[in-house]
Amino acid sequence: MMENSALLQPMVVLILWTMLIWLWMYVTRIPAMNKAKIDTANLVGGKGGDLDELLPPEVQWKAHNYNHLLTEPTLFYAICVVLILAGQDFGLNLTIAWIYVGLRVLHSLIQVTSNRVLYRFSVFALSSLCIIALAIHAAIAVF
Amino acid sequence: MDIAILAPAAVLVLWSLIMLLWMAGTRFPAMAKSGGDLANAKPGGRGIDLEGVIPDKVNWKSHNYTHLMEQPTLFYATVVILALTNAGHGLNLYLAWAYVAIRIVHSIWQATVNLVKVRFLLFVLATICLLIMAINAVWVTLF
Repeated sequence: MMENSALLQPMVVLILWTMLIWLWMYVTRIPAMNKAKIDTANLVGGKGGDLDELLPPEVQWKAHNYNHLLTEPTLFYAICVVLILAGQDFGLNLTIAWIYVGLRVLHSLIQVTSNRVLYRFSVFALSSLCIIALAIHAAIAVF
Repeated sequence: MDIAILAPAAVLVLWSLIMLLWMAGTRFPAMAKSGGDLANAKPGGRGIDLEGVIPDKVNWKSHNYTHLMEQPTLFYATVVILALTNAGHGLNLYLAWAYVAIRIVHSIWQATVNLVKVRFLLFVLATICLLIMAINAVWVTLF
């Protein structure tokens, strides 16, 4: 068993960043909901997605990014654990993992501020290339 | 530690990324055909905004990519538990491979024919594999 693999660091950083976006979502959404006079005390069955119709887009962008952080990064966590357990958690893989986390932070900042789709897409595409590289390395290691 | 069970997990991560590429490879031509492009997309636009704008069949790839970000997260967690507890062999290993194989068929089905009753059946079969793995994971860790 590994002793505090260095690859755990980018994983934990991305998890913390995700929760920071969660916080950002709440501190913008809750005041916006109050402003929109949404009666949360008597609300039954509502979902965050329903607020797309009711709140300003910039407020919902935080939620969109929080959701986004719970999609592809789940592959990142899985592949990091595979790399750690397979003893491939150093060197190039470690560098790529940090680049992935850096790009995801940038992606978040774009999506919650200007949210220009072309920039957001470009950063997402680059970050996906990082995961593809990690996944191929992992496949080589476990087969 | 049973590293063999990491292989199906690595394959499913790679498969998810193939679906991502399939999605992008069909979505961009469809967007171009419907007169949309990234550079002029309205700020904050997301894939989901393309529902009803580009053909359903194109969006099916995206539906499957999203689907792969849901239940498979439980699969990765279960695989890691089984690998760390030396239970990643025998029946659990077969079930993990069966899960991945069924998910790949499920993806191809959802991205092409997408008749719901068949897709549902595939999903149920995959879920049964995961359910047995999860029960085994609880068994080895709790008792």
